[in-house]
Amino acid sequence: MSDPGVFVSGASCSAEPGCITCGDVAVILTVATVAGSDASCTDEQGRKEQVATELVGEVRPGDRVLVHAGVAIERLSAEETGG
Amino acid sequence: MRFVDEFRDPELAEVLGREITALCEPGRHYKIMEVCGGHTHTIYRYGVQDHLPEDIELVHGPGCPVCVIPMGRVDDGIAIAERDGVILTCFGDMMRVPGGRGSFLEANARGADIRMVYSPLDALRIARQNPDRQVVFYAIGFETTAPSTALTVLRAAQEGIENFSVFCNHVTIIPAIKAILDSPDLRLDAFIGPGHVSTVIGCRPYEWIPRDFAMPLVCAGFEPLDLLQSVYMIMKQFADGRAEVENQYSRVVHYDGNPVALKVLADVFALRPFFEWRGLGSIAHSALKLSPKYAHYDAELRYDLPGVRVADPKACQCGEVLKGVLKPWECKVFGTACTPETPIGTCMVSSEGACAAYYNYGQYAKQRLTLEVLK
Repeated sequence: MSDPGVFVSGASCSAEPGCITCGDVAVILTVATVAGSDASCTDEQGRKEQVATELVGEVRPGDRVLVHAGVAIERLSAEETGG
Repeated sequence: MRFVDEFRDPELAEVLGREITALCEPGRHYKIMEVCGGHTHTIYRYGVQDHLPEDIELVHGPGCPVCVIPMGRVDDGIAIAERDGVILTCFGDMMRVPGGRGSFLEANARGADIRMVYSPLDALRIARQNPDRQVVFYAIGFETTAPSTALTVLRAAQEGIENFSVFCNHVTIIPAIKAILDSPDLRLDAFIGPGHVSTVIGCRPYEWIPRDFAMPLVCAGFEPLDLLQSVYMIMKQFADGRAEVENQYSRVVHYDGNPVALKVLADVFALRPFFEWRGLGSIAHSALKLSPKYAHYDAELRYDLPGVRVADPKACQCGEVLKGVLKPWECKVFGTACTPETPIGTCMVSSEGACAAYYNYGQYAKQRLTLEVLK
């Protein structure tokens, strides 16, 4: 447990050191703004990512969503986010 | 880092390790398979096995999307990419997967136009930007990733984008687990279920495992403490004489999954009668293709493909590794002829592949083991 590193967040995939989409990695992001079925979201470091939201219903700024391959696949409830 | 730090606390890990040890029945050896490659990565990266007693063995399963792609499908992708006017798009790890005619990276060097994308929606954007080119998305992944491909096809249809298609290699996890359980080579006691796949499909599709095989399955998150807690929950089931599906990853997995995503999957995709998995062979109803409603976006119908089955290199033992029969370091070419820089087998390509994960992180565990033996 000595490695404090985290999975890479943000909209990127590379052959080196490894593709986060291939790795089934999903990241929790916070919705910043919404435009139709797309939302601009940010991660804990403030990095932005454009996310499609059709699969989780209507989202609002402040909502937290689980994102994989640029698509929100689940919305976290207020209880789950501690909010 | 509130969602991360609390799941990496070393003191809590030690406490959980002690509680797990206390639940072990003396003289019994437990084999627990983590189905998902993301879990394999966490286990090696954080040394999760080191917190478990010797009687609990974690066995790596087939849940690395890149690892299960057979060589013939790589060659089909190259055949598409080599056509005039085509841009082939794929996720990063696919670039280095060896096919019978080399990898996508090598095809790029020969002049094909193959581009990495993070999302299939990026592939659709490339199609919008290049209306005079045909853009094909090489889709791989389990039920975590398939919804993003489905959503992209829906958007392409809504926008009337005609120069976009999908070469679909999406696979489904349940038939792979069935194939593992039917394999005579392996005796397992329990499963750690894939967390993000379960976000989409829920926990219900696993209920046949405890019912028919009396084996516990716990859907787990991807942090080290998630995995240790899941092992604890499995061991508690053994201690209580139970075999059930439980959900450790309840902060994102709902027992019934994501019904909207499931509906979209059912609309856009249809099950293939058979699909070949690297190492596991042909498995019935284990993969997806575009449904008749969206066949217009199916690259397999749009292009004439070789469709040839290519045998794995003889030296490669990815099949045994994918079934959990062999540990990565037991493969004949591990770390010598086969490395992440020059992979022979798929398990050495993706960071979630058992061989690459062990190659990158596992040598530390091996060193510890050697030192203990020397003592």
